[in-house]
Amino acid sequence: MSGGPPVVIGHPRTSSARPLRDVLGRLGVRRIVVVDDVRLAQIVADTAAEPPQLLLLHAGLPGFSPDFLMALRENANLRDVPVLVLGRFPAGTLRGELMRAGATDLLARPLTLAELSARLSVHLDRCRLDRSLQEVIRSLQTYHHGAMQRMALARQMQLGLLPDVAACRSLEGRYGIALDSHFESSSELGGDLWGARSLDDRRFALFLCDFTGHGVAAALNTFRLHALLARIDLPADDPAEALRVLNGLLVGLLPEAQFAAMIYAVVDVSADRLVYATAGAPKPLVRHTGGRLEVGPSCGLPLGLASEARYRNHCLDFPPGSTLLLFSDALYEARRWDGEMFGYGGVSDLVQGLDDSDLQRPLGRYFATVPRLLADDLTVLWISRNGRPRSGPD
Amino acid sequence: MDYTVHDSGNLRELEMRGQITFEADTDFRAIFAAWEQGGIADCVLNLSAVDYMDSAGLGLLVMANNAARQAGITFRLKHPRGQVRDLIEISEFHTIIPCEF
Repeated sequence: MSGGPPVVIGHPRTSSARPLRDVLGRLGVRRIVVVDDVRLAQIVADTAAEPPQLLLLHAGLPGFSPDFLMALRENANLRDVPVLVLGRFPAGTLRGELMRAGATDLLARPLTLAELSARLSVHLDRCRLDRSLQEVIRSLQTYHHGAMQRMALARQMQLGLLPDVAACRSLEGRYGIALDSHFESSSELGGDLWGARSLDDRRFALFLCDFTGHGVAAALNTFRLHALLARIDLPADDPAEALRVLNGLLVGLLPEAQFAAMIYAVVDVSADRLVYATAGAPKPLVRHTGGRLEVGPSCGLPLGLASEARYRNHCLDFPPGSTLLLFSDALYEARRWDGEMFGYGGVSDLVQGLDDSDLQRPLGRYFATVPRLLADDLTVLWISRNGRPRSGPD
Repeated sequence: MDYTVHDSGNLRELEMRGQITFEADTDFRAIFAAWEQGGIADCVLNLSAVDYMDSAGLGLLVMANNAARQAGITFRLKHPRGQVRDLIEISEFHTIIPCEF
């Protein structure tokens, strides 16, 4: 052992501490401070700057007692420093009192130098291991703190990809709908993305995309898609063609075995219908007035797998009073408390129980059924045709 | 997930059981490694005893298909049931990997 904090020897006759110094020196201790009772008090007062790695106290120090040890331990900087007491301890009661007062170990004389060396070696090794462990812990804490800060920033950036409240209120006012959403990643970052945009006074488009996996890699893909969507002009009235275009851009861009399930839909509030296409996405659900449930078909290769993939448009009635639910597969693949999959049946029950207020009530019921710690990213979009669009120019 | 290997001539049938998710990655890599040792011309993944597969599992099927192509092996799926069949049909995986329903 070399370097490191000093070993402090408290001895009533500092000149007699030479054998102790020699043993410590042979054990590799480079910094040894020998002090009497007066200087010990000063050393203790200075521990904030650098606590010793070990205190070796001679029981013959003036004023040494269990109370003296207890006072040492009250100093926060000495609370974890090993304190060894060297002396003759004929009475068992004294030995017990010293240990209870804070002594780490008692070095009872008579003691050969070889035994003293062996005993000190054990404690010095323990000190070194403890310092190494503390350094590792500090390093991990620093890394963890930094990683959490970076993750929090990245999460804010990812949430910034989603339509904000103003955008949602604008769609609601323009098309006479109520729009609610739920976005919950299974870890700090997720692989889901949704968006909506106006096409004209009677139509708006919306999409929900779910990249394979979750976490950082999947989140990076959502940024890729968001950037692609910002710089291309998707065909407004043809969801299948929109998916074909996006697929063409993602093939070759995504690594092997990574792809995206996506639904792209155009809602026409004038024609009271929904035209959509899917690429491996869950089936959309429409709850009609009176509670009748309509499950739309879904078929199509996920995006990014095959350049030759083609998609099909499907049409669902979406009249006033009805509610549309789009969601990522986490909604029905989640396991309930009893271990069973929530399933499409569970989702259907949720949707049938919807009212026109918002998404929060059914989600509350959902999370009473499945553990909150989701295994996958969850996005749910809820669009209710609860009014008429405002009139006005395009 | 676990699986049993049935060899008949140069045909290998892998009878899969349980769930095919991200955790099956190691098993699939062992399957690919065995293909590279040669002696197999066709490989069938029997999914009849697989009760759950997620999108990561679909990703493993894509990797298996690519690995089979590189090894010169004909790869196909067989008898998916329940949720696994729904997932394959919704994702139209049978259009890129032959599947006997």
